[in-house]
Amino acid sequence: MKKLQLEICCGTSCFMLGADKLLNIENDMPTELRGKVEIRALPCLELCNDSKLGGAPYVKLNGEIIEKATCEKIFDRMRELLDASPL
Amino acid sequence: MNHDFFVEMESFQFTKTGQAACGDDIQMEVLKNENRYLAVLSDGLGSGVKAHVLANMTTTMALRFLRSNMDMLQSIETIMDSLPVCEVRKISYATFSMVDIRLGGITRIVEMGNPQYIQLRGDEEVPPISHKTVTSSHWPDRQVECYEIKLELGDRLIICSDGVTQSGLGEGSAYKFGWCRSGELAFAQEAIRQKADISSYALARTISYKALNISKNVCKDDISCLVIYLRTPRVMRVLTGPPYYKENDAEFAAQASLGEEHTLVCGGTTANIIERAVQKKVQIDLASLKAGASLPPAGRIPGVALVTEGILTLTRVCRALEDHEPLDTLPAPARAIIDMMMQHDRIEFIVGTKVNEAHQDPTLPQDLELRRGMIKRISTALNSLYRKETKVNYY
Repeated sequence: MKKLQLEICCGTSCFMLGADKLLNIENDMPTELRGKVEIRALPCLELCNDSKLGGAPYVKLNGEIIEKATCEKIFDRMRELLDASPL
Repeated sequence: MNHDFFVEMESFQFTKTGQAACGDDIQMEVLKNENRYLAVLSDGLGSGVKAHVLANMTTTMALRFLRSNMDMLQSIETIMDSLPVCEVRKISYATFSMVDIRLGGITRIVEMGNPQYIQLRGDEEVPPISHKTVTSSHWPDRQVECYEIKLELGDRLIICSDGVTQSGLGEGSAYKFGWCRSGELAFAQEAIRQKADISSYALARTISYKALNISKNVCKDDISCLVIYLRTPRVMRVLTGPPYYKENDAEFAAQASLGEEHTLVCGGTTANIIERAVQKKVQIDLASLKAGASLPPAGRIPGVALVTEGILTLTRVCRALEDHEPLDTLPAPARAIIDMMMQHDRIEFIVGTKVNEAHQDPTLPQDLELRRGMIKRISTALNSLYRKETKVNYY
């Protein structure tokens, strides 16, 4: 089974609004989630100008956008995805 | 100006151990309209603040006289007459070397009391040719050596204070008379053999470190080394900001053609444009990222460019350039950019002028400057403070 794919936006707005704390997410990850996600930093997801979205920082988890992302939000969604389809 | 040449003038200094200020001073100036490059290195009597003041007075006056083409003997006499006289030694003392390069013409070097210059063509020395010794009637005990030489593309001039040539003095039989000019010459030749295109800064730094090393890492006298290198200009291109019209993206991206060592891409959207054009992905190494980093991490498009975030990183670079902040104290992406800029002579900015509206959001925790103004400031700093040639093109 493929690992989950987490893409973190390193663009200006996202970084200023909290992506700086997401870049070290691997170190803060609960034990049960470790090794189950592949993390990539991207120069910019180009989502910050989309007024329909909720606000930076943005990440994509398996292609799904998470708005105002925090480590906890990402962990919760990871758990849901893993519960639905365990590795 | 002659665009086949770039005159790279850089220096490196160590202050005598225990002193607050360096007793040597170096000043350089480019007179673009006249195709002239001026540099002065002075070593003030003694060490510390007093020596620095003497050296700084000397370099400031000498540069002004060189600039205005004042008669050499008259210049030197004015400098000597102006310096305060040492109560102990009864002399007004600052030694100096003055260099006046006229591209396509004669280069004049004037030395008083400083170690003799070194001229290298590749790794071969061009020995100092016959010269004129001038003595002032005001200061009969001081002799001034005047040289007129011809510099060619690929030549280097190395000028240093006696802190370099006398390093190691008294440190055992190997350095009975210090490192000497001959030791410095052999070391510089070897450094060029190892890396034929070594930059002026790198050569000045390695010579200074060797001199310090010979003195067992205790700086017994101020160490100063100035290197001047006539070379084919090294061009670097900085691409930043998406073009105002999207249909210009391809033309904009085509500018990223100088290779990874010479191309810098600043900005997330800009990186995406280049990614699409070259069909290669940006690689960002998160493993090296430190917690609490103040700037987003840098990445690379292999073989194409160094990639960083845009406006935050450029703002940090601008501040560091304007304030001459030491490289080691900067966050890694800003350090990488400045390091790259210092390795190049001509820096071309390719600036997309589209404004990211999200950056104007008043809820962002800090004000973001507009890219155009920031690039203008960086360009001005590189030009006036670091003697780089710059060009800005807008898209």
